[in-house]
Amino acid sequence: MEASVLRRRRPGPIAAAVSLLGELLITAGLVLGLFVVYSLWWTNVLADRAANRQGDRVRDDWAASQNEAPGELDTGDGIGFLHVPAMRNGEVLVEKGTSSEVLNDGVAGYYTEPIKSALPQDKTGNFTLAAHRDGHGAKFHNIDKLKKGDPIVFETKNDWFVYKVYAILPETSKYNVKVLQPIPKESGKTKAGRYITLTTCTPVYTSRYRYVVWGELVRVEKVNSKRTPPVELR
Amino acid sequence: MSVVPWYDGRDGMYSWFWRHLPGNAWVKALISLVLALAVVYVLFQYVFPWAEPLLPFNDVTVDNQ
Repeated sequence: MEASVLRRRRPGPIAAAVSLLGELLITAGLVLGLFVVYSLWWTNVLADRAANRQGDRVRDDWAASQNEAPGELDTGDGIGFLHVPAMRNGEVLVEKGTSSEVLNDGVAGYYTEPIKSALPQDKTGNFTLAAHRDGHGAKFHNIDKLKKGDPIVFETKNDWFVYKVYAILPETSKYNVKVLQPIPKESGKTKAGRYITLTTCTPVYTSRYRYVVWGELVRVEKVNSKRTPPVELR
Repeated sequence: MSVVPWYDGRDGMYSWFWRHLPGNAWVKALISLVLALAVVYVLFQYVFPWAEPLLPFNDVTVDNQ
């Protein structure tokens, strides 16, 4: 009894240590909270800024080389723009590679490894893309809004490649590289064709599994002088 | 250095910190705010970008590793 009265007046080393620990825990909580703000908000701000800058550069390059011979070279700034109306996020710049340095700029990347992606203009093959689900632009955040039959349009300097979603794999292992094969058997295809594959992580806010959407080419439209988008985007 | 133990009659590091800031309450509050913003800046600019790839929240690709 006497000891507790004494301790209340002047905290002993244990009470002081406990209150220090409490403050450290509160501090840790605040830091973790800030990390969430950073991940889900600030990285989007930075990534959208970078993506807009790089996208503008690609459009400028296209405009500047209007009269030159056609060619769809990857200038390092990106090869074109992905339009997925169902994701309602405007256009997504597509660049080479799927490393964090590429994807963190708020773009989608086409795979160079473990299985090399085909390009849309190739005769056959699978155009395989990855982008962030959350943070860093979160360009594939709404991938779960895509349904079979929805259009995916890829815009290059000279062509609109119009794909249609035909298969969705809502959850698969992150080691399942087979989904990137030129003929993605898991999607039900057995013959070579012109496919597109979108990959991102799932469920949202984690990266335990991968979400995969497959589409196949429906048609290619030439870009006209006004860059009129195909009907799917109007 | 005081001969009184650091924990004497106090509760925690933030009140210790507050007592060691110069000026009256307004000046202390202002300095605290500036320091807090500086901490947030360092976290956003250096600490979080470093920590993020080490945490399993943001891998989106399929791969063999």
